[in-house]
Amino acid sequence: MALQTTSEVVSFARKLEEDGANYYVCLARLNPRYEYNFQLYAKENRNNIKQVQRVYYEVISDAIEGCFAFNMDVTRFLFEGLPDESSDLGNWVKRAIDIEIKTAEFYSEAAKECKSLMAGIPRIFSTIARKRDNRITELKALLSSNTE
Amino acid sequence: MTVLEEPLKEVLSLKNYIDGQWIGSVGETQDVINPATGKVIAKVPMSTVDEVNTAVAAANNAFLEWRMTPPLARARYFFRLRELLEENFETLSRIQTMEHGKTIDESRGETRRGIEMVEVATGIPSLMMGYNLEDIASGIDECVVYQPLGVFCNIAPFNFPFMVPLWFSPFAVATGNTFIVKPSPRDPISQVKLCELVDEAGFPPGVYNVVHGGAETAGSLLEHSDVKGVTFVGTSNVGRAIYQKCGETGKRAIVQGAAKNFMVVMPDADVNNTIASLMTSFYGNAGQRCLSGANLVIVGQDDKFYNEILERFLDATARIRVGYGLDESIQMGPMQSLDGKDRVTRYIEKGIEEGASLVIDGRTPEVIGNYPDTCFIGPSVFVDVTPDMTIAREEIFGPVASVIRVRNLDEAIRLVNSSKYGNGNAIFTSSGKAAREFQYRVNSGNIGVNIGIVAPMAFFPFGGMKDSFFGVLHGQGRDAIRFFTESKVVIQRWF
Repeated sequence: MALQTTSEVVSFARKLEEDGANYYVCLARLNPRYEYNFQLYAKENRNNIKQVQRVYYEVISDAIEGCFAFNMDVTRFLFEGLPDESSDLGNWVKRAIDIEIKTAEFYSEAAKECKSLMAGIPRIFSTIARKRDNRITELKALLSSNTE
Repeated sequence: MTVLEEPLKEVLSLKNYIDGQWIGSVGETQDVINPATGKVIAKVPMSTVDEVNTAVAAANNAFLEWRMTPPLARARYFFRLRELLEENFETLSRIQTMEHGKTIDESRGETRRGIEMVEVATGIPSLMMGYNLEDIASGIDECVVYQPLGVFCNIAPFNFPFMVPLWFSPFAVATGNTFIVKPSPRDPISQVKLCELVDEAGFPPGVYNVVHGGAETAGSLLEHSDVKGVTFVGTSNVGRAIYQKCGETGKRAIVQGAAKNFMVVMPDADVNNTIASLMTSFYGNAGQRCLSGANLVIVGQDDKFYNEILERFLDATARIRVGYGLDESIQMGPMQSLDGKDRVTRYIEKGIEEGASLVIDGRTPEVIGNYPDTCFIGPSVFVDVTPDMTIAREEIFGPVASVIRVRNLDEAIRLVNSSKYGNGNAIFTSSGKAAREFQYRVNSGNIGVNIGIVAPMAFFPFGGMKDSFFGVLHGQGRDAIRFFTESKVVIQRWF
């Protein structure tokens, strides 16, 4: 699945964030001990959608190469639905780490592709990718504390 | 492939907006057709002379009170309008795609540009200030103030149905004038939606008006003695006639005409970014814009470079996805009308007849999705084009690129300057010296350096030279403030 227009890339980012948010909402429900943190992740995902959309709408008049700035095969960034609810927290967190790595890679690659052409859009993509790195570190710490 | 939902579900019967009210016209109606789907989406009236006169009278009556409204209070109406435009951003954008055919990315860009005009107009208390000097002679002071003049109008083109009237109306109204928009009858819906928001923002009746119609309606506005100035964007032939008429009737005029833009690629250009810029320049808005690239000029005697640029350009062109602009994956929509498609087809035939080589033929495009091919045309590329050929000289206003090879920058600049038009020409280079030379010597109202669409921002004037522009002051920015106001000098001495 190759994306070429900015509208497509923004829609794909929205899908990744929404799927991710749903994942964390489920995680929060299944693990009341960590509910606050997982809900925070879900909230942050939704905020990322807003930020991307806001920047896109604000700069699209300057980013005149909007229909030609990308050529991204995004199939590898997609992730399947939710794990079995009976799976233990470790499995869920491992999966979350995988989701975050893929999502960070998507944003980094998208930023790289449209650098120099799309005004503020590569900057917001890079910012969100960096935020993902922090989250991956936190999830890894959670995983190790649960397996010790 | 995601096709976004259409915001217009029924065939709209459009009305005029005069004196703060939506009023039906007794004139005949014309269909507004979605050029991608072929469906009728609205009926637009051809307003009568009486209806134009009613609109001008309403605007004239509203003028006195509006000009006495403090600039800050006038600005607040624009702050409210700006918020409403933001709230309706997506709907406005999708309507443009439905009525014009452009891609959703392009429509959103157009919506944003329109909003930016409104944003700049909110700064009117500062923008409209005059200046003064004490003691020009002993005990005598002099100042200049800028005052509005009355009723202005815009005769809008079809290619940017939402944005172009906004190049003028916010500046005119914020400076204290009243305004009448005559949208293009081909795609008038986004102006109606904009006007609904103007109404919601609470502008006083008569300050902002919309009158639908064609050439006759425009003629009535041009003839009317209470219209103080006209703004027009369209072809140079019509523009020249309008400018003459305005001269005869003592009206101010901003008249933006046609173009034939050259994209000059130097041997030191950044190839990847240049190709992306060229794609949007030549094929964005299906080539229906006065800033579109038309002639691709490849500079240098190095065959390897020439072949590389040409190959990359052709490869990218051949991969462009053509279809309905509400499909997010589409990179180029249809022509806005069948007339437009026929015109482009005729130019392609002319190019072949005059000996240019058509290496990509867009006349039978592969259209993504199940849509009638009525208005669709794909991108076309000619090589072996010489400057004397019709396709190299005349505005095609469609997605056709003519590739011309020249030996050096000097030859490229002479070629650009030989055009009767001077609108938006660009150079692609890594050399500051070459860029400076191009910027300095090319006779063009807008110059791009590594920018394929040289569209000035709202706070800069939209330039144009030679047959691309008739007038003195331009739309947007400080030029627009001066255009819509008269300077009055006051010299005072107190005994």
